[in-house]
Amino acid sequence: MKKNCMLSIAISVLMLLVTTGLFANGAADNAGAKPVVEKVLTIGVDQEAVGLDPHIVTAFSSHRRIDLLYNRLTRLDENLSVVPDLAESWEIPDNLTYIFHLRKGVKFHNGREMVADDVKYSLERVLDKKTASPGRSYISLITSIDIIDPYTVKINLSAPLASFLNALTSNNLSIVPREAVEANGNLQKVAVGTGPFMLKEWIPDNSMTLVKNPDYFVKNSPKVDKVIFRVIPEAASLLSGVKSGDLDIAIINDGATIRQADKISQVTVLSKPGINVRTFGFNTTRKPFNDKRVREALALAINRDEIVSLAEFGMGSPTGPIPVSAKEWALPLSKLPFSAPDYNRAKALLADAGYPNGFTFNIVCSSTYEGGLAVAQVIQNELKNIGVTANLEVVEWGVYIDRWVKRDFDSMVEIRGGSGDPDRFLYRTLYSTGGVNNFMFKNAEVDRLLDLGRSQTVPKERKTTYDKLQKVLAEEAPVIFLYCPNENYVLGPRVEGFKPIGNGSLYYISETSVK
Amino acid sequence: MIRYIVKRLLSLIPVLFGVSLIIFFLVRMIPGTALEMYMGTQVEATPEQMVELQRIFGEDKPVPVLYMEWLGDIIHGDFGYSLRTGRPVFPDILSRLPLSLELTLFSLVLALMIGIPLGIVSSLHQNTFGDFISRITGLLGLSLPQFWLAALMVMAFSGFRGWIPMGNYVGFIVDPLRNLKMLFFPSLAIGIGFAAVVMRYTRNSMLEVLQQDYIRTAKAKGLKHRSVIYTHALKNAILPVITVTGFNTGYLLGGAIVIEEVFALPGIGRLSLYAIYQRDYPIIQAVVMIIATIFVVVNLITDIIYALMNPRTRLDDTTR
Amino acid sequence: MEKPRILKNGIAIMGLVIILLYIIMIIVSSFWLPFDPSEMDVKHVLESPSFGTGHFFGTDEFGRDVLSRIMKGSSVSLIISISATALGAVFGIMMGIWAGFLGGRWDNFIMRIADIMFSFPSLLMAIFVMAVLGENTYNVIIAIGIIYIPQFARISRGAILSLKSNEFIRAARSNGAGNIYILFRHLLPNSMPPIIVQVSLSLSVAILLESSLSFLGLGVQPPEPSWGNMLSSARKVMMIAPWTAIYPGLAIITLVLGFNLLGDGLRDILDPRLRNVS
Repeated sequence: MKKNCMLSIAISVLMLLVTTGLFANGAADNAGAKPVVEKVLTIGVDQEAVGLDPHIVTAFSSHRRIDLLYNRLTRLDENLSVVPDLAESWEIPDNLTYIFHLRKGVKFHNGREMVADDVKYSLERVLDKKTASPGRSYISLITSIDIIDPYTVKINLSAPLASFLNALTSNNLSIVPREAVEANGNLQKVAVGTGPFMLKEWIPDNSMTLVKNPDYFVKNSPKVDKVIFRVIPEAASLLSGVKSGDLDIAIINDGATIRQADKISQVTVLSKPGINVRTFGFNTTRKPFNDKRVREALALAINRDEIVSLAEFGMGSPTGPIPVSAKEWALPLSKLPFSAPDYNRAKALLADAGYPNGFTFNIVCSSTYEGGLAVAQVIQNELKNIGVTANLEVVEWGVYIDRWVKRDFDSMVEIRGGSGDPDRFLYRTLYSTGGVNNFMFKNAEVDRLLDLGRSQTVPKERKTTYDKLQKVLAEEAPVIFLYCPNENYVLGPRVEGFKPIGNGSLYYISETSVK
Repeated sequence: MIRYIVKRLLSLIPVLFGVSLIIFFLVRMIPGTALEMYMGTQVEATPEQMVELQRIFGEDKPVPVLYMEWLGDIIHGDFGYSLRTGRPVFPDILSRLPLSLELTLFSLVLALMIGIPLGIVSSLHQNTFGDFISRITGLLGLSLPQFWLAALMVMAFSGFRGWIPMGNYVGFIVDPLRNLKMLFFPSLAIGIGFAAVVMRYTRNSMLEVLQQDYIRTAKAKGLKHRSVIYTHALKNAILPVITVTGFNTGYLLGGAIVIEEVFALPGIGRLSLYAIYQRDYPIIQAVVMIIATIFVVVNLITDIIYALMNPRTRLDDTTR
Repeated sequence: MEKPRILKNGIAIMGLVIILLYIIMIIVSSFWLPFDPSEMDVKHVLESPSFGTGHFFGTDEFGRDVLSRIMKGSSVSLIISISATALGAVFGIMMGIWAGFLGGRWDNFIMRIADIMFSFPSLLMAIFVMAVLGENTYNVIIAIGIIYIPQFARISRGAILSLKSNEFIRAARSNGAGNIYILFRHLLPNSMPPIIVQVSLSLSVAILLESSLSFLGLGVQPPEPSWGNMLSSARKVMMIAPWTAIYPGLAIITLVLGFNLLGDGLRDILDPRLRNVS
């Protein structure tokens, strides 16, 4: 009887060993059999692209592919300054007219040359309401687009728009060929751009393979033959992918994983304050947040440094209304009112507003990164210091969006897509009729400054306007701008020449090579 | 027998109809719509744009009308288009199904490989220390949260190149080794819990068989102990194990949801999870319908196998 | 061969002891916890377990004490597991008895509903229910309870059916006993053993389901600690701070094991066919 028992155990152990043994051999086999002829750059990302039509997509993940497939009239460099892209140069005869001189000899992936007609077609497609393009609002002030010659386009605006050149850097305003749209209905599943790479294969939720565009208009670029995007949702798996050599570059949001990557010698971490802004905003039509003093009191209870170190593991920079990474515009926090903790003053303001014993309210957040659950928990803890009780309403991401759209919240932790140009970020966020002003904030002075700022073309005058605006916004505090999360890349040892831009774009992949 | 199978097949129709009804209305009861998810929080749209988008997303008709349309379509094998990607739903699911099915099958095999021997040992030595230990080991396996085990596996092994290969799923026929390597740890994470279930059923079923007269007779006749166990007892004891295996396919498929998420495997579990997050109704509906169909069909096959192997079963509804 | 008695019922006793230890822990934690489980501490973020600091199980990414949170979370887990099982058992048994006792069309109708509910993989069903109802502790109970209903229905129906044709029921009936009398006097008490086993297994599965749901961000929501959401947030930091994942995981395993041992032991004790085979 004993013997049988031992035998059975032995059999099951043996079976396990056989299977495990299979594996160990396999691992060794595979490691040796890698072709080295082609230069392949593998990028790990946490989300799959939703579609590839540059005029239609809204998802961040889609834009990262479009970065490499299409070009725009202008683009941003690593300092977030506007530089030429398909437009070689431009003239601004008056602040309602822009004349763009296009690069010559640029070819679409289908082999046809890109000309002025394509620019007109693309922008008109975005402006067409049927396209339902998110880029429409960036250029809705365009009244007409005139073709002067095949390489010159004139764009006329109905009102001055100081951020126009910056707006044109948006991927949603990429230049596409008419025939590709007409042949496919839209460009969600195909890619016919002018960009450094061409779409070869797309296996949804798995990988996307791009190959080098041999006719790309920038000399000696791109530097690799193939770029493969791999979708790996787990930050930890992304990191181990780089560590093991399966991935060359991983884009990782999660601060804890970056902290861990710092300790691994084989990998390099590139971290740079991004352009997005984490915000804690109020529904300014609901009690007690319709009272400016209450909002100010809450602002005085917020400790941005603590939030960054607890919720982001230090991977972020405290900011005011204009993202710190937009260096030419952003005022330092020390120059803004209500931006450093002062509990006594906060309590006094609360007493003034009729809440000497504090009050209770809800914070809507979600457990996705964008939903800011960690930030909300820290804020909840900080508000205890001034006797205010915050209850967290942690909702699933879809419900979160639903609440956002319906403006059904007391307060909400969000991440807002920022911009290097203050007009592009703040106008839609805080103008009384702004498209994403879901704080329902209305203030005549803020509206006046925003209108003024977008019409001023002299940088120095514009700067004065936005300095004033930042102070007013910090004082009114319809939303508390907390910090800019860092944009993080983990690079393997083979990667050379990659630069982060700060707005998440992967333009510099075309300058990146692998050893 | 044929009559029985036909009767059972017909009884699947109301069940699948009920599933379709529940899932169609249930997904639409979840707050938030596909259109809202698509727009996110950063996009501005004019009222005209919204009307156009609502038409595209099929939000311009009452739900019962949409249901009838959808039901008509799926009867013709048309599962519609994903609201998020615009791709046809059926090929998308079909490309992910092999992975999930293989994962389920593979974890089943692992569970049987671990569970049956342990169950036999346990039953042959009922109430000894060895039995005690193997039962506790089995129950311990059943008590492990799958995702926790999976996360620990990723933590422990993913740093080694090639142990848990990432990226493209390759079919078993294309590259058996890579395929097995991709699925071994995920299958183990799902299989360990199920191994405990298999073990328990094997043990109980063996115990039952062992006390039956013919086994006692065989032993009394002086047949060698081992041959009694393997030829007589095990053959009869395995029947309930098959049944429980069949009925638990759904459980294993469900386990695949979390495991696919942790190991980043592109199967239907992960597809359905993301479809729920994105309110991609056509995908959720199709995935649930397909899983439910697989589930009821596997149950039916299990019942038929059971009936074939055990002629004493009465082939009517009261035995179910 | 003579077997020591303890080995026969030892499994159930071990289970019972583990469960009792947890109950003691819950009682203690309602009076006293080593630290405030929700108090954040910037200076003690992700500290490894140590006797010196008093954080025996270390601290999490907000500097909160892991042990205190596990203790606080134990009552959440146990409440969910007990309530969900009770919910599923009450409705499921009612359905099963109804179907088994009345038979015919009722039986067909009720069991079809159970079949439909069965055709959803349980976790997927729970995810749907959570998404519809919203994420909070009560809804976790409802979501898990709903999964249990068809399981209890099937088991209790089966038990009733196998008893219905028994001699003693026929005898009672021929003695003129009414339906209700037979149901409560004979059928229910005698169908209890399989149901009791199912209850103890359901208690264990509920804890696992709660943790899976919370792991996917759909269960008990922070700052309220539950073992599942502790693991969920630990997933990000487990590489640099493995204790944040290991201890809550062990807490789950031990309690689930306790219920499983109890269930398995009870099955041996209650199932006459498995007694004394040698």
